Amino acid sequence: MPITTTRRRLLAGSAAALALPAFARAQGAVKPRLTAISQWSAGSDGAAITALGKKFEEKGGVWQHSPVPGFTTDMMNKLRAQIIAGDPPACSQLKGPEIAAWSKIAPTVDLDAVVASAGYEKVVAPDLAKLHKPAGKWIALPLQIYSTNMLFLSKRGMDKAKADKVPVTWADFNDLAEKMKSAGMAYPLANGGTRADDGQKFEASLAGISPTAYRAACMNLDKKALEGPEMKAAFAQTRKISEWCDPNVGVQPYATNLKRFVDGDMGMLIMGGWAQGVLKNAGFKFDDYVITPGPSDNGKPVFLLNADAFIFWQRKEADLQAGQMLMAQLVMDPAIQTMYSQITGSIPVRTDVDLSGEGWSEGQRTTAAALKNAMGNNQAVLSLAHNMAQENGLTAAMIDVITEYVKNKTIKPEEAVSRLADAVEGAR
Amino acid sequence: MTELVSTATRPGRSATSEMVRRLPEFLMIWVPLLLSAAHLISFSIWTIWISFTPSTLVPVTGWVGLRNYNSVLASRNWQIAFDNLLLFGIAFVLLSLTTGLLLAILLDQRIRGENVLRTIFLYPLAVSFVVTGTVWSWLLNPGIGIEKLAHDLGWTSFHFDWLVNRDMAIWTIVIAAIWQSSGFAMALFLAGLRSVDSDIIKAAQIDGAGPVRTYWRVILPTLWPITVTVVVVQLQFAISAFDLVRALTNGGPGIATQLPALVVYDLMFQRSQLGRGAAAAVLMLLILLAVLLPYAAWRYVRQRRAAHA
Repeated sequence: MPITTTRRRLLAGSAAALALPAFARAQGAVKPRLTAISQWSAGSDGAAITALGKKFEEKGGVWQHSPVPGFTTDMMNKLRAQIIAGDPPACSQLKGPEIAAWSKIAPTVDLDAVVASAGYEKVVAPDLAKLHKPAGKWIALPLQIYSTNMLFLSKRGMDKAKADKVPVTWADFNDLAEKMKSAGMAYPLANGGTRADDGQKFEASLAGISPTAYRAACMNLDKKALEGPEMKAAFAQTRKISEWCDPNVGVQPYATNLKRFVDGDMGMLIMGGWAQGVLKNAGFKFDDYVITPGPSDNGKPVFLLNADAFIFWQRKEADLQAGQMLMAQLVMDPAIQTMYSQITGSIPVRTDVDLSGEGWSEGQRTTAAALKNAMGNNQAVLSLAHNMAQENGLTAAMIDVITEYVKNKTIKPEEAVSRLADAVEGAR
Repeated sequence: MTELVSTATRPGRSATSEMVRRLPEFLMIWVPLLLSAAHLISFSIWTIWISFTPSTLVPVTGWVGLRNYNSVLASRNWQIAFDNLLLFGIAFVLLSLTTGLLLAILLDQRIRGENVLRTIFLYPLAVSFVVTGTVWSWLLNPGIGIEKLAHDLGWTSFHFDWLVNRDMAIWTIVIAAIWQSSGFAMALFLAGLRSVDSDIIKAAQIDGAGPVRTYWRVILPTLWPITVTVVVVQLQFAISAFDLVRALTNGGPGIATQLPALVVYDLMFQRSQLGRGAAAAVLMLLILLAVLLPYAAWRYVRQRRAAHA
């Protein structure tokens, strides 16, 4: 449903819904303005947020986005500086448990009214909704969803290995990798060597072996689960994965391998759906590769949830408040979510968006179906590697162990299990 | 002297005019000095204070005693970083010292083109550590750098994968750091070599000492004050090394090349654990003091001896 209301009607509507006195007084006079910071500066991410900004301007708003390139943590440093200076942006990117942590250090906007009037709560996965209303009130809005454990298969790589069956379990995956290797591929896997990438190798292994164990160990930090047999199996699988990756990649990201992947010199990639956006942006076609849910030993898709979101910081300026309401409405709008996801390769947060139409890839449809399926089977879990399961400090301590294990082949799986448990204990 | 005369002849405007005349000196020396001292000291105290608080995302008040220190000291990151610092510090200082000294002695042979060579050896010092790190990360990458070059030239058994080998990766930092800073050691040593009294050298030659013996027994012993300076300056660099490592290995593979400064940055700006980051920073300060205090004491003793002599 494209929004066709005029600015005046939109403003009046939001003001009535919220009944914010300051806002009501100002609504006739101000032009909505939004100061926003995010890490999305280039590539498909940059293109998507620029497109969102255009929509914001079309609705009569003033869009003031300052991207902070680099990792999410670099953006957080800017956010911290602005909060300490008493000048937070009206809206910033933030996700997962960080929303709860950061909302304690500066006042946020109560979005309950605007969320209710959009009927948004009904169309958001409950686990996800919980992260965005830490104290029971909506203060942040999820924008797009990725699964961090999608399996990308190179068409040419599959042809080279004379394989046509999409792997479902880890055993299938391991067979296919061996097959590719004997077909002459020195490194069947196109994954990179960044910390997040190593984290993804592990979380995909564990969640694929047992989503229940993943939930207990990585999300709930249950001591017994952290030392359980599934953990050892997951580390063993991670070792296999790492041995199929090109060691010369060092600590570079997976994107350096994409050409080799498309050309069929590397056959598989375990990555989030954002890789589709990166592939598309690099000029590769949808039929160069297939996207399928990551290996799952019980045969049903496991969805490692990663969701980008915007949090709204309290501001006194009437124009910023108006901008926040306009932004909130845009972020929840199915048309906007469609536009955004089609650029980045994610899937919309709204479960009621129809992905059968033009502009969606087969991979995105598969991902959306996997999410629905996984939610039905209680196999949708929060990603550790992408800061959805734990706060930064804990995540980093756990990824330390995982990345060291991936890079150091002399550490045995059982050693890694106890190191991980110790790291959790030490960081708590 | 002129001062004395002028105040004596014009007794009326002594104190004020003297102050006005010396005002620029005061402004130029004391203001920056006090500002930077206040800056340094206040932020050091602030960091020390934060290291005892439960601060995470933003600084907060509160007292947790040594908890932050205990958790930093117990973390694997810090232990690896500390071991690496010992290895890197010793290897880097010794090797840059010997390389610098060797270059200086070779340049000291009154060779042609000395100015050009000196510029070449000093030039890396003008390059930022980030650039050095990035360039060396390409050179040392087995897939695109030296190893590939050797393979392309036909030497296919050549193996040089230190950058991605977690046992050897710390040595790539040593290599890049030496490339960058042995020119600095060379410059100081060369100045030292040139300041040796030529009469002493001639006397040694008359006594029948060969060039090796002359260097070893006569010239090098006069260089040791310079050596101490070079060691201290290089050690300071080694302890606070950050940009080079960040660009070259970023602490990897895994966490194999962590160094204390990286741990501090990680804790403060990547993990949002200000308290622990501050504790790690204070630990770094202590390591630095362990180097600087003996140096200061040594200089003090030397100056007193010189004054007495």
